[in-house]
Amino acid sequence: MTEAGDDVMVQMVRRFAADEIRPLEIDAAHQIPPRVLEGLKGLGLFGLTLPERFGGSALSAVQTCRIVAALAESDRSVATTVGLHLGLGTRGLVAFGSPAQHERWLPQLAQGDVIAAFATTEPGAGSDLSAIATTAHPLADGKLKVSGSKLYVTNGGFASLFTITASTPLLGSANRGTSLLLIPGEARGLVRHPEERKLGLRGSSTIAVSLDDVEVTGVDSLLSEPGAGHKHLSHVLSWGRLFLSAGCIGTARAALKATHAHVSQRRQFRKALLQQEVVQRQLADAAMRLRAMVALVNETASAADANDEAALARLSTSAKVFCSEAAGTICDLAIQLHGGSGYIEDTGVALMARDARVTRIFEGANDVLTTHAGLMELTSPTKRAGAAADAVEAARQALHSKLGVKVFGRPSVLHHLGRAVVLRDAAQAAQTAATTAGELASAAQLGREAVELASRQFVALDPSQLTDVLEGVMES
Amino acid sequence: MTPDVLQQQIFSMMAQLSVVRAPDIKLEHRLREDLGLDSVSSMELLSMLAEQMNLDVPMEEAAHVTTVADTITMVQRHLEKRAMP
Repeated sequence: MTEAGDDVMVQMVRRFAADEIRPLEIDAAHQIPPRVLEGLKGLGLFGLTLPERFGGSALSAVQTCRIVAALAESDRSVATTVGLHLGLGTRGLVAFGSPAQHERWLPQLAQGDVIAAFATTEPGAGSDLSAIATTAHPLADGKLKVSGSKLYVTNGGFASLFTITASTPLLGSANRGTSLLLIPGEARGLVRHPEERKLGLRGSSTIAVSLDDVEVTGVDSLLSEPGAGHKHLSHVLSWGRLFLSAGCIGTARAALKATHAHVSQRRQFRKALLQQEVVQRQLADAAMRLRAMVALVNETASAADANDEAALARLSTSAKVFCSEAAGTICDLAIQLHGGSGYIEDTGVALMARDARVTRIFEGANDVLTTHAGLMELTSPTKRAGAAADAVEAARQALHSKLGVKVFGRPSVLHHLGRAVVLRDAAQAAQTAATTAGELASAAQLGREAVELASRQFVALDPSQLTDVLEGVMES
Repeated sequence: MTPDVLQQQIFSMMAQLSVVRAPDIKLEHRLREDLGLDSVSSMELLSMLAEQMNLDVPMEEAAHVTTVADTITMVQRHLEKRAMP
C-alpha cells in the first residue's frame, strides 16, 4: 500500500471509530459489541499484516502501526483486540509456520473469522520464560500431549487459535527446550475460564486457559523445529511490543487532544488554562514525549520491515518501555489538567488512564525489559551519535572497567543503565525525525534527560537497610 | 581445589538458576537450550562465579561462554592466572 493508500486506511478507521465505537459503553459492558467486531472485519483490519495470497493486506509494520494507533485513539480495548491478533497472535504462524499451517489458518485469520490469541504467562512464569511449566510430551502416534495452565490470555474468550509456549524436553536436540505450538480453540481439553475483572481494557477479553492433556498432531501444532521457542519467541514478542507501543501513541494522542480542548475553553484566574505558563510547560512536555513516541515506533517498525532482528529486538524493548510510560504520564496529566472533571468517568480521560496502566505490565514488565535493555547494551553496545549516546557509552565503559562480569549480578545497575538506553533511543529517534527547530529542541531536551540519567552516580541499596526502612514504616 | 570439586561447585551454582538439578547437569549442556537459562540468568551465573571465586572476568570473555564446559574452562583459566606468581 502506498503512503496515500495508508492515509486513506487511517481515515477509514477514524470514520468507523467515530461512527461506531463508544469507549464508555464498551467499558461498562465489558465487551466489544458484535457489530463493532463485524465492522472491524469488514474493514479488513484482522488481515492487515497477513500475506496477500491468503487474503490479507500485507501492509508494512510502519503502515500497520499508524492504523493501530488510529484505532487506539478511539478505544484501547478495540485496538488491543486487533493489535494482539496481528502481533503476538499471528506473527509466530506467519514467520515460522509451515505451508500446511499457513493454508489451514491464514485465510480465516485474515478475514477475522478466526481470532488469534497468544498464551505464555503461567501461575509460576511471567517474564521469566525459563520457568514455563506447560509441557508437550510426544505420544507414540506422532501426537503431542499438552498439559499446563496459562493466565491473562488476551482474546482468549473468543479466540479460535492459540499460540502457546510449552516446554518440550523430549523433542529435538535440546535437553530442555521451549517450543511454540498452535492449539485450535476447539481442542478437547482446552478449558476457558471466566473473564477476569480488570482495572482497564475491560472490553478486551482476558481469561485463564487450562490445557488438560490436550492432544494435537505434532506437525500441525509445532511452529518450526522443536526447542527453538526461545529464539522464535523473541521475534514474536518484538512484534507484539511494537503494536503495543503503537497503541500507546493512540491513547496518548487522544488524552492530549481531550486535554487541549479542555484547557482551551476552561478559564481560571481570568484567562484560559491554555494561556497559563504552568499549563503550557506541562503540555509542551507531553507533546515532546508524544513526538518521540511516534518517532521511536516508526524507527522500530522500519527495523521490522527491514528484517533487522537485532535492531527490532533492541528498539521494540525501548519503544515498549518508553511509550507505555509516556502514555501513562500523558494520561495522568490529562486527568490533572481536567481538574475534578478528569476524575469523572464520563469525561473519558479516566478510562484512557485505566486502559493505559497495564501496558507497563504486560508483554514484558517494564522493569524486566529495562534491565534487559541495560544488559543488551553491555553485551552488544549500540553505535549511535550524539550527547545521549556518548553518555550511555561512557557509563557502559565505566561499568566494564569497574565491575567486569560482576555487573550482571547487580540487576539494579543494569536497570539504571537500561533507563538511560531507553531515553537515548527515544531522543535519537525524535532527533532523526525532527524537521523543525522546535522538534529538534524537544528531542534535545529528551537527550538531556538521558545524559543526566547516564551520568548520575548509581548507588546500590543495601537490602538489609531496605528491610529496616520498610519494617519501620509499616510499624509506624 | 581439585577439578572435580570445582566442577561440582559450578554445577551447584548452575542448579540454583536452572530447573535442571546438579546431578543431571552435563559438560556438553548448553546454558540456554539445555539448562533453560535466558540471557539474564546466564550472565547472572557468570557473575555469581566471579563473585564467589573472586575472579576478574572481562565482559568480552564472558560473551563467548555458551556451554557448561566453556564455563568451567573459563573459571579454571582465571584460577590458574590468579595462582601464577
